[in-house]
Amino acid sequence: MRFRFCGDLDCPDWVLAEISTLAKISSVKMKLLCAQVLKDLLGEGIDYDKVAKLTADAKFESGDIKASVAVLSFIFSSAAKHDVDSESLSSELQQLGLPKEHTTGLCKSYEDKHSVLQGKLRETSLRLGRLEGVSWRVDYTLSSSELREVNEPLIQLKLQTQGAESGSTETTVVSVSADKFRVLLAELKQAQTRMNALQ
Amino acid sequence: MLLVLSEEHKEHLSFLPRVDSAVVGEFGRIALEFLRRGSSPKIYEGAARKLCVPVETVQRGVEGLMYLMTESSKHMISKVDFLDSVLVLGFGEELNQILLQLYLQHHSEIRSILSQLPSNLPGYHNLEWRLDVQLLSTFPPAGLVSLQLASRAIRQQVVPVLTMRLLLTGGGDGTGELSRRVLQTDPGTLLHLISTLEGALAAIKTNHARRIFRNIK
Repeated sequence: MRFRFCGDLDCPDWVLAEISTLAKISSVKMKLLCAQVLKDLLGEGIDYDKVAKLTADAKFESGDIKASVAVLSFIFSSAAKHDVDSESLSSELQQLGLPKEHTTGLCKSYEDKHSVLQGKLRETSLRLGRLEGVSWRVDYTLSSSELREVNEPLIQLKLQTQGAESGSTETTVVSVSADKFRVLLAELKQAQTRMNALQ
Repeated sequence: MLLVLSEEHKEHLSFLPRVDSAVVGEFGRIALEFLRRGSSPKIYEGAARKLCVPVETVQRGVEGLMYLMTESSKHMISKVDFLDSVLVLGFGEELNQILLQLYLQHHSEIRSILSQLPSNLPGYHNLEWRLDVQLLSTFPPAGLVSLQLASRAIRQQVVPVLTMRLLLTGGGDGTGELSRRVLQTDPGTLLHLISTLEGALAAIKTNHARRIFRNIK
């Protein structure tokens, strides 16, 4: 059976299994649990004590708690990834056996946070060598060991990037002569015009 | 099968009957902690001081005990074989029983620790990917100036590119740090990659592979 929220693929077995675990808590607690999981997905951190309190009535063991957080994370992020609307998500979850009240609560939370979640997923999409900062300085070279009167401007550019392979900040310093810098600027302006045309 | 202990090993273990059983139990605990997390000289020094013996004796006793446990767990020897192997050391009945209990309680844990040891191949952790379309670029490859002028005029050039970041565990230095590899491919190569990997998965389901799995158990 193909599900849209799984990207038109079969639903993974573990998701199927954990949906029945989710059905064990009340739908009110389920909605609060969804709120916690969404906070985690949006990078605001998850309060495990609150989660433990929510699942205490249903006597979840630590494995069950982890599983329910995992399955809710999967449902939300996968549905946002494939841009599923909340009615389709609701019908698909009910097909998988999630009770109606739980599904309604889940889909309401999903709908509320749908665009914020997609924005966050867009931000965390793979980007190599993100540019973190640029600083520059214009110098004027008066003289050097090779030539007594040089009298030329020189630009020092410092680029701070996130290393593609290492993931930590790398600093690159380049010095550019006036002519080369004009070429650089012209090329970058061309690229910028193309980018603006695509926006 | 019986364990054959070397003379040196027997000598190291000969320290054990000279201390009482509570101490042996304690040594057993230290030996297991050694397996789990490594040892520290302070532990040996403290024990040596309390028992009034040199530090090396304690250390060798504990390490001998640990080696006995790992070898027994590795070969999955039965209770009877373990007792017979230990009989060779000439220990008292009580000590033999303590060692047996230690073995029985911990052998599966020891086996799981041992199985994690030889991991120097990097293992898959995660794959992030991104599908881009390359529209334009500045510099043409050296011999294709004319082609580039033509494509600059067209401005319709569309080249799909898949960028991937492969995160791997292990990576040989054993620190648990993830290593990263950045890869780029075009859709044709990607399809080839997918079909090769699917072929590898399908190989697990052949009769030949199934026969081997059945026999390993």
